[in-house]
Amino acid sequence: MMKRHPRPGLALRAGAGLFGGAVLLLSAPAARAAKIPAYAITKAKVVTVSGAVLDNATVVLRDGVVVDVGPAAAIPKDARVFDGTGLTITPGLIDAYSGAGMPAPRPAGGGPGGGGGAVATAAATPAPNPIAPASNIYERVRASEALRARDSGVTTIVPIPREGLVFGSAAVMNLIGERPEGMVVKSNIALAASIATLGQRYPGSLMGTMAFFRQALMDGTHHRAEVGAYEKAPSGRKRPAFDPGLEVWADVASGATPLLLQTPRIGDLRRAFALADEFKLKLVLAGNTQAFEETALLKERKPALLVSVNFDPPRVGGFFGGNDDDRDRAEIEKAEKNPAALDKEGVKFALVSGFAPDFLAGIRKAIEKGLPREVALRALTLTPAEILGVADVMGSIEKGKIANVVVWSGEPLSKDAKVKVVFVDGELYEPEEKPAVPPGGEPPRPGEVRDEVKR
Amino acid sequence: MKIQMSKYPGFIVLGALMAWGARTEAQDTVTAITHAKIMTVGPAGTIENGTILIKGGKITAVGASVTVPTGATIIDASGRVVTPGLIDAHSHTAVEDGVNECTNIVTAEVRVTDALDPRDISIYRQLAGGVTAANILHGSCNSIGGQNATIKMRWGVASGDALIFQGAPPGIKFALGENPKRSNFNVGTRRYPMTRMGVEVSIRNAFLEAKAYKKEWDDYEASSKAAAPPRTSRGSGKATTAPAPLPVAPRKNLQMEALKEILEGKRLVHAHSYRADEILMLIDVANEMGFKIATFQHVLEGYKVATEMAKHGAGGSTFSDWWAYKMEAYDAIPYNAAIMASHGVVVSLNSDSDELARRLYWEAAKTVRYGGVSEDEAFKMVTLNPAKQLWIDKWAGSIEVGKDADLAIFKSHPFAPDTRVEMTLVDGKVMFDRSKDVAARKGVAATLGGGGQ
Repeated sequence: MMKRHPRPGLALRAGAGLFGGAVLLLSAPAARAAKIPAYAITKAKVVTVSGAVLDNATVVLRDGVVVDVGPAAAIPKDARVFDGTGLTITPGLIDAYSGAGMPAPRPAGGGPGGGGGAVATAAATPAPNPIAPASNIYERVRASEALRARDSGVTTIVPIPREGLVFGSAAVMNLIGERPEGMVVKSNIALAASIATLGQRYPGSLMGTMAFFRQALMDGTHHRAEVGAYEKAPSGRKRPAFDPGLEVWADVASGATPLLLQTPRIGDLRRAFALADEFKLKLVLAGNTQAFEETALLKERKPALLVSVNFDPPRVGGFFGGNDDDRDRAEIEKAEKNPAALDKEGVKFALVSGFAPDFLAGIRKAIEKGLPREVALRALTLTPAEILGVADVMGSIEKGKIANVVVWSGEPLSKDAKVKVVFVDGELYEPEEKPAVPPGGEPPRPGEVRDEVKR
Repeated sequence: MKIQMSKYPGFIVLGALMAWGARTEAQDTVTAITHAKIMTVGPAGTIENGTILIKGGKITAVGASVTVPTGATIIDASGRVVTPGLIDAHSHTAVEDGVNECTNIVTAEVRVTDALDPRDISIYRQLAGGVTAANILHGSCNSIGGQNATIKMRWGVASGDALIFQGAPPGIKFALGENPKRSNFNVGTRRYPMTRMGVEVSIRNAFLEAKAYKKEWDDYEASSKAAAPPRTSRGSGKATTAPAPLPVAPRKNLQMEALKEILEGKRLVHAHSYRADEILMLIDVANEMGFKIATFQHVLEGYKVATEMAKHGAGGSTFSDWWAYKMEAYDAIPYNAAIMASHGVVVSLNSDSDELARRLYWEAAKTVRYGGVSEDEAFKMVTLNPAKQLWIDKWAGSIEVGKDADLAIFKSHPFAPDTRVEMTLVDGKVMFDRSKDVAARKGVAATLGGGGQ
């Protein structure tokens, strides 16, 4: 649920009446754009990411933009002022491969991943077309559900459907408002797809999937040539069929639109590069929880790389088993060390949730396994902004950038860290206080089956 | 089978160039395998106490009186038997996420090369059985399945492409009988065809379509050639009324491209088959459509139609003594390989199994027992004959100067009950060494907390 009436936390010394009234006016997006007040967070530690860490500094937000930052920033008279003493401000986290707001996967026929509470709601949802190049993914986002990601300090997402082969056009979305189209910061950043298989429908095998991509890219190019020839001299020629899907493939084949490709298997990195070389594709590679095994290749090719912290994704069930518990555990442990291993080798990447049920927990695990915290923060802010082509407006705390910032108590991304306040497009959101983590570890997630039960 | 390579000169030249590329990257030092009993499977026959020299991944000398150059790396094979690396003409090893694209009856566009997994431990295990090359086939779900990959067991390479046997011509899987008509499978979705009649029609239809596709492309290429210099009539100032060339090339259809290559003789057909009637059916369809069948695979009733197979020039790649596991396998006999061979068919014995592939040499031995095949001819069924069937005998299948140094070193004669593979080389590199493997087991056993042997 979106929180319209933020309760002031203990650390925020602003009176409830001060901004309670203002928030009430924000029922429509147009009104919001006009009416959100200026905010100044003072005396805080500011991790700008693009520059130095500033101690005892002020960040001023107005009209959805960072208007000033620094120890000597002027505090406007009309600004709502928060005392940030003891708090840390970072750029809003960008999850460049997120399941936030996307429908839960439908239960597969006896396959993994269909269990838990998701079944009942999913059953009512009609099966989406698994091959939808001409669709806009943002149209499928459930805004109210997506906004929950703010509780983890996420201000910006690239939502990706949880199942399918060709998902559609991807967009960068800020977590604000009620309508998905209103959340879009930048549309059509890439065609999103996965080297996935569709079981009973073509392509049902990895071989088929690669053949499908190859044919689609060739068909797009051919379609464009046909349309071009027709437009030059239409008289006496058969009119080429209108096909927006092939238009998209043509743009991908020519490199005009990047292909954001999920590469779930370690061998998929090479498969993606081979496809890119055959067609001159511009790639963004996503998933890659075992990417460290291909470090030399990654150092050579330097792809735009999104590395998932979803260390235990549902396994692909093969014809012969796929239920090797020992192997799975080993894979999970290797995946947890993957971000640190890549960083050690100088491979640049963005960290993404990859549908992980708890993004922050995954990030903390990567840090625990050796990824430096400041590297993790950059991989969650400026690096994804650069990969997504939005670094001019987000990814760091700089004058003129979109006012997507997070105020943390405790060291950000550490176990003690709490997201106190999140600003998205300059609008304040305050997560509800959650019960503390019990001594036995984090509580089970909905639908999660714990190891004890599994065994 | 007579392989008429001269028919496709361009093809062979390309293959030779690719093989040369691989050669240049191989090591320059000389390796010598000495004091070995060498079963060359080639014209030199068996050499009782001989030497093999290897340089740049190739066999540079073999014989009883070969001088070992100074500085050579020596593998002393005293008391051992060196043979060509074994070749498995029917394998599904090292394929990721499905060997079958089952969703359509014809899937000629899919490629095993796209799904190769160089990390598959089966590669190493098959090296331990002396296997150095294999024909990695698509499954038998479709009447016309996907494109094959002829690979070498290069354990440790990072990419699937690095497994490819350079120069090997491309192939494709066909399948007849119960598998493509889905008789033995509890599949959720019913898919055409459900009968042997349907299997035949699906193949014939695919080739009729491919012929039309080929004509479309041939016409287009002819028209663009004819239209190359733009023709205008200067005298009248008007353009000529000659038909305008097609402005856009026809759609490239990857499925049809593969079938076109079969029609052009550039792609080898490996047809999974059991019954004599369906073997004859495919020969008829091939003759009608104008293509050749390189091998019939499994071909358990090949003994009934061996004359017809030999006449067509098709090889037979069969099991030694495996039958009755489904209806169409009831008429199988262990004499199949021997009878086919005696009728002039090039016969190989395959595994179709990651596990059986490790003991192909004993599969070959069974034809000595069943059918009285000579030991030399029997061993050819897992070395030179599969190499011929895959058109890689120029580089593999026997120990001859100029061929790739793909070798197995056995403890004793490969048909002996106590034999085992001690060492396997691919491109002159030791890819399996039993002594090292045995030593490594202690370390593995330690990590598992004991229990290893």
